[in-house]
Amino acid sequence: MRIKFLPILAHVLAIIAVLPLLWIVISALKPAEDVFDFGWPSSWTLGNLQYVLLKIPMPRFMLNSAIVSITVTVVALFFHSMAAYALARLRFPGRGLIFSGIMSTLLVSLPVILVPLFLVAKQLGLLDSYAGLIVPSIFHAFGIFLLRQYYLNIPRELEEAADLDGCGYWRRYWSVILPLSRPALASLSVLFFLANWNAFLWPLTITRNPDLRVIQLGVSGMQGQYASAWNLILAAAVIAAIPTVVVFVAGQRRLVDAMKTTGLK
Amino acid sequence: MAATPSPARLRRRTVLGALAAAPLLSACDGSAGDGKELSFWNFYGPSDDQGPQSKWFVAMVDEWNKNNDVKVKLRYIPGKDYLNGTTLQTAFQSGQGPDIFLISPGDFLRYYNGNVLQDLGSALSAESKADYLPGLLEARSVDGKVYGLPMEIEPLAMYYSETAFEKAGLSEADLPKTWDQTLAVAEKLTGKDRYGVMFETLPGYYQNFTWYPFLWQGDGAPIKDGKVAFDSSAAVQALKFWQDTIQHKVAPRKALGDGGGDVVSNLGSGAAAMQQSGIWAVADLRAKAKNFKYGVIPHPMPDGGRPATDLGGWAFVANSKGKNPEAAAKFIAWALGSTDAAGIERQRQWNTVVKTNVPPRKSVQAAADAKGAFDDGALKKFVSEIAPTGKPEPRFPPEVYQPIADAIQACQLNATDPAKAAADAAGRIDTFLKTYQGAPIS
Amino acid sequence: MTRKRREALAAYAFLAPDALGLLTFVVIPMVLAFGVAFFKVDGFGNYQYTGLSNYKLMFGDDQLLASLKVTAVYVVTFVPIAFVVSFALAMLVRNHFKGIGWVRAAFFLPNVVSLVVVGLIWQFLLVDKRGALSKLLAPLGLGDVSFLGTPSLALGTYVVISVWFLMGYQMLVFLAGLKDVPRELEDAAAIDGASSWQRFRFVIWPLLRPTSFFVVVNSTIGAVTGLQAFDLVFVLTKGGPARATSTVVLYIYEQAFTFNNLGYAAALTTVVVAILVLCTGLMFGVTRGGRFDED
Repeated sequence: MRIKFLPILAHVLAIIAVLPLLWIVISALKPAEDVFDFGWPSSWTLGNLQYVLLKIPMPRFMLNSAIVSITVTVVALFFHSMAAYALARLRFPGRGLIFSGIMSTLLVSLPVILVPLFLVAKQLGLLDSYAGLIVPSIFHAFGIFLLRQYYLNIPRELEEAADLDGCGYWRRYWSVILPLSRPALASLSVLFFLANWNAFLWPLTITRNPDLRVIQLGVSGMQGQYASAWNLILAAAVIAAIPTVVVFVAGQRRLVDAMKTTGLK
Repeated sequence: MAATPSPARLRRRTVLGALAAAPLLSACDGSAGDGKELSFWNFYGPSDDQGPQSKWFVAMVDEWNKNNDVKVKLRYIPGKDYLNGTTLQTAFQSGQGPDIFLISPGDFLRYYNGNVLQDLGSALSAESKADYLPGLLEARSVDGKVYGLPMEIEPLAMYYSETAFEKAGLSEADLPKTWDQTLAVAEKLTGKDRYGVMFETLPGYYQNFTWYPFLWQGDGAPIKDGKVAFDSSAAVQALKFWQDTIQHKVAPRKALGDGGGDVVSNLGSGAAAMQQSGIWAVADLRAKAKNFKYGVIPHPMPDGGRPATDLGGWAFVANSKGKNPEAAAKFIAWALGSTDAAGIERQRQWNTVVKTNVPPRKSVQAAADAKGAFDDGALKKFVSEIAPTGKPEPRFPPEVYQPIADAIQACQLNATDPAKAAADAAGRIDTFLKTYQGAPIS
Repeated sequence: MTRKRREALAAYAFLAPDALGLLTFVVIPMVLAFGVAFFKVDGFGNYQYTGLSNYKLMFGDDQLLASLKVTAVYVVTFVPIAFVVSFALAMLVRNHFKGIGWVRAAFFLPNVVSLVVVGLIWQFLLVDKRGALSKLLAPLGLGDVSFLGTPSLALGTYVVISVWFLMGYQMLVFLAGLKDVPRELEDAAAIDGASSWQRFRFVIWPLLRPTSFFVVVNSTIGAVTGLQAFDLVFVLTKGGPARATSTVVLYIYEQAFTFNNLGYAAALTTVVVAILVLCTGLMFGVTRGGRFDED
């Protein structure tokens, strides 16, 4: 009996979990005066979404976020896989020390080092620029850790076959390891993209040029300018969330698989 | 004072060496070092929605740029980011503050004590100085030097919804004059979807600003003659009044929209029947809720109290460490202080057409009166009855603001004993004043 | 050049970009925090060496104490609740059933949305009197409860929203861990007549210990200094009402950017990191579960 009961429970809980999100989507499609009505809307409108897309530089915000998120993701995956390759498969003095050093940076999160990081960014001339949005966001030990776990599990013979052909380390990394790590990279790219698309605190701190505003700042700023217009604010929130949902749905299977294969535990 | 501490030098060397390639994309903004272009940061324009206030800013700057070598360039920062204080702060921390910017009384001393405010005196004509209403320039002066020109006067008052009163079977005769009446009337106005009265609930400079009138009504003040005076019956009763509105469940614990200053979201939406807010709300309602019927009354008073309101208002200031502080001062004096016909008209537009304020200058008031701007309704009440009872918003530094803010929050929302809260705040302010060395606090 | 040396050189070259990046944007800021903490910084480019006075300031700072308390309460409620909820969800969606894909996705979906949007969503749902939740609770006579405006409720509301936001992520981590529990072992236990509780207690639980450790450490760090401790509070309550949700991280941010006390903020930062290192060190020590390196 319980076997029948549990899946039903799971479905019910799942609906409850997404209900708040669903409610927001529905509310964003209501006319302004109905936004607090508890019932099913009497009429639907795309006007809110239209307004937000056309009257507010929402496309510009999204473009900025896309530029930043994609660049960070690509560069970070490249750097992290290189570092992870060295840590997982090469022998060198100080490996253990460097690895624990990298891991210990996981203890430090952005809000805690915000002020000094700001000072560093200022010294490097990164204030108010795409570089300022991108460069400091690239480096994070989490990706190195996951990729290293993944590389530890790649059979050594594969790499050694390449070695016999007289390949250098770069070739081994580039033509053996990198292609083999495609699934792990794909799933990490989902995580990285989400994290950067959703970033708020760092962009808020490092930029002030309106042309550099990323989507989360745009949505947050809506609250000030259109305080009374919940219908518009919610429409902006929905638009900001669409790319993340799309990326997640597209990469969902990879995400679950990768968490398993990379041995995250 | 170590202007260039060793850590700074150290970090420049190591960091730059380590990541030489990093600055290649850095912004080219603000690089014009010849003092021919001044940046002007503000939260009005050019904005995304390009409303009338944005247009006023853009037109004003265009006018200046047509006739002057030193150009001014507007930079718009959304109000929320500007008011939260992070944007300006980060800019000044990095030595890249704007040349001209807007400042509220609450921020005045911090920037003055940071030595970044430019004396506007030499750019300002005697005629122009004499045109300002008494007290306004003094509130932005230290030792007789003027550091900011006010662009507006924004008194606070109580707004009420005529519809809500009618629905509750109340008439104009029921409009509250005392705190007790306010509580009683609010009770009748409170319903399933509506609160009877509303004060700001979100912590911040704005909340303090809206609370001071109730303190002043009982002749209280946080600081008198350079000494702390917050632990007073006036403070206790004012804290208690706001607390009562929450305890009696006639006021919301959390406002809608942008909070207490946002009349459209609260009073206008029917969520509150009475709301304390500023004169700017007249223009907001005009623009966003044309058919909404409302009225304005002075702040209700405690027994034996005297009428009081707080006169807010932002000012233009120039950065003394900017690219060309003298030119920036000239621009400000021209933009807000010109006494020629065009200057007065520009001010009239700002104060009565694109926005609703009490004009800070006599000649502008006269020009506005000639156009009948204050002949009737809410604005008439503001100018003739409410503003004369007001005092300029005090320029408390953060260390004085914060204890008061904590006291208000604790009493209003956390049922703390007002006497204890007032004493606590007084203690903290006292500790601060003992070591404070900046310009006089008023 | 020997092979050994070549390998080492290659390794350093591979490590260089990330190592330098982490050094510049994580380690140096950390070190700087220690340095700036000894200065009075006024926010206008002036530094003044003041020795330990920033640290001394902390002892008389009631707001700091209040913030530490908020963070402590948040940690001891959020971490266990999130742990139990996400573990239960993982057990629930462990075995295949019809529609499992959608169910898993649904639990994870809140995590995909940014915290800014999460804050907005809940502000909208929790609007006093007119919000969806008030309408939902009105029949029970709870229609005018202010979830974000009442100090005693605001922190709890913040915990619930955090759990809703993070449960899907932790569920995935547990699922990954559960995959390592050999099915045969469980089946054997079942044949031996072990109840489902016994199977859980003696087969699954011991094997899940490393995963559990990872989850607890991760969510503790997140709860103290993570983005949920800043972004979410920032948009939801700004630390109010009456400082009821003013987390330590928010307080540091306030000191640095609202009050321009960069030196004090830096000093606070060092203390928070020290506490965090101590806590995680303690967890490592007590559980002996912290083996990142397994080879």
